[in-house]
Amino acid sequence: MNSLWPLVITLGYVAVTMVIGLKARAGHRMDTLEQWGVAGRSMGPVTLYLLIAAGSVSAYTFMGAPGWAYSKGVAVFYVAIYLAYLALVAWYFGPKVWQFGEQFGHVTQASAIADRYQSPALGALAALVMSVGSVAYAVLQTVGSAYILFVMSGGTIPVWLGVIIVLACIAVYLYISGQRAIGRTNAFQGALMLVVAWAVGLWAVHSATGGLNMAAVFERIQAEHGEFLTLPGARGDMSFSFWTTSIIVSMFSFMPPVWTQWMCASSARTIRRSATWLPTYYVVILPMVIVGFIGIYSLPDLARADTVVLEYAMANLPVVLVGLLGAGTLAASMSSSEPFIHSVALSITKDVLQPLFKLSDAFTAKLARWLLLPVMALVIAPLAIAEPGSLVMILLVGLGFASQVLPAFIGMFFWPRASKLGVMAGIVAGFLVTVAFTTVWSHPLGIHAGFWGLMLNLPVFIGVSLITPATQADVVERFFRIAAPRGFKRLGKQKGSQAASTTSR
Amino acid sequence: MRRLFVLPTSRAGWGLLAAFICLVLAGIWPVIGLVNRAVLVLGLPLIIVWGYMIIFACVGVMLVGNRIVERDGHE
Repeated sequence: MNSLWPLVITLGYVAVTMVIGLKARAGHRMDTLEQWGVAGRSMGPVTLYLLIAAGSVSAYTFMGAPGWAYSKGVAVFYVAIYLAYLALVAWYFGPKVWQFGEQFGHVTQASAIADRYQSPALGALAALVMSVGSVAYAVLQTVGSAYILFVMSGGTIPVWLGVIIVLACIAVYLYISGQRAIGRTNAFQGALMLVVAWAVGLWAVHSATGGLNMAAVFERIQAEHGEFLTLPGARGDMSFSFWTTSIIVSMFSFMPPVWTQWMCASSARTIRRSATWLPTYYVVILPMVIVGFIGIYSLPDLARADTVVLEYAMANLPVVLVGLLGAGTLAASMSSSEPFIHSVALSITKDVLQPLFKLSDAFTAKLARWLLLPVMALVIAPLAIAEPGSLVMILLVGLGFASQVLPAFIGMFFWPRASKLGVMAGIVAGFLVTVAFTTVWSHPLGIHAGFWGLMLNLPVFIGVSLITPATQADVVERFFRIAAPRGFKRLGKQKGSQAASTTSR
Repeated sequence: MRRLFVLPTSRAGWGLLAAFICLVLAGIWPVIGLVNRAVLVLGLPLIIVWGYMIIFACVGVMLVGNRIVERDGHE
């Protein structure tokens, strides 16, 4: 590819994103965590819709998902299904989390955990270990961004330089505009991704079949490679059990940036409205996946499956579309990495450093912004440049841990009797199982390691909670006035019996 | 408070919970096994069509849920 247009378009996208991110501050002072951390809880439904949607659609949609379609087939669609389920999760829990934040002043997930269980140590533990998964995720997205710049520049921008360029851009607008920058840039990136995905997908269908009918692609796949149209997929490694447990574990992984995004909404109703329409965004996956299917017969000998869209585009699409594909893929990776980078700096400062050193709120807010720089320069950049082989492993363990925090949320939303020690014991037990079944014996019986972790975690959590002291009643009541505003029922009571209830709001 | 657990408190709430559970069951085994066939519907593989039916059903259920929540003043 000799044209400069793809690089010009991709760098043009970076410049526009920078301007949007810098202008997002719009005169607001960023010296409190309410502003820098959760944008003053001011986001409207459209911005919130695109913020959550773009944040959840990573470089995976533009590279990994087509790669899965290319190598496995329809098995890739478990992603679209669990993303829709995450919208159900956001619909139910998001408004309650927003009310916790608004009434109790939480700006992070770990703050809510520390408050519910009256344990700064539990909050700090959650913040630290969630940060492992968050950093690994941000590194993977940064590597994806740098790779795109490498490809679009024809190799002129090496990966190390691409990492520095991308992180420097993100650092500047995150430092200056905080969560407002994430909201505005994700809104732009979300819209861009949707347009680019369909433009590239339809053009690819046209170039492959001579028309715009996707059926022609699948009729050929059905005739020549029918194994791509069913589970367990062409490689035989996506069993029903792995499909099912992957969806369940992913559904229950409450990642910290998502929690923070819920708290950015202008009202509980806003987040419910945004979550309602969120699944519609996932039509963005279909056209990209179809390019992966086209690659099955048009690019049969690819060395790396996740390059299928880029390879197909560079061979068959006009340079302008290749440039837009570069911009769209970069948008996908940047829109996913920046919330995680922001979340790590925010949570480490608020939930670890502030209680440890008894810092004032004003100093904590200032420190959170500055902490972005060492997090990026000393952790994410070196890891992204080194591209360690164990990164995916770190990510899997990190995400496995995310699902192990489930007991903390059960105690926050459903079960008042949950105790601090019960949550800690459940998390530790589940985490150890998840680590073992990720690293030593990978996904036994084709069941996701995080699911195995939960199977030990939950009984331990319940058992230990029942034999250890509960959190003090006034704190529990404070949370459950929001989690169960109509009161809550005694398990096993028959209809007509008087339900025990807390004070109704 | 020792034995309490949050459950729906109205018939509409139970209906909504049932709908959420049905949606989740529709996307996992054994239901997904029923649509695991190499046939095309509307030109797309059956699992993809089924996946998007679930996705849009999620929107429908949440729209109904919004009406219930706002009617009952749960905000």
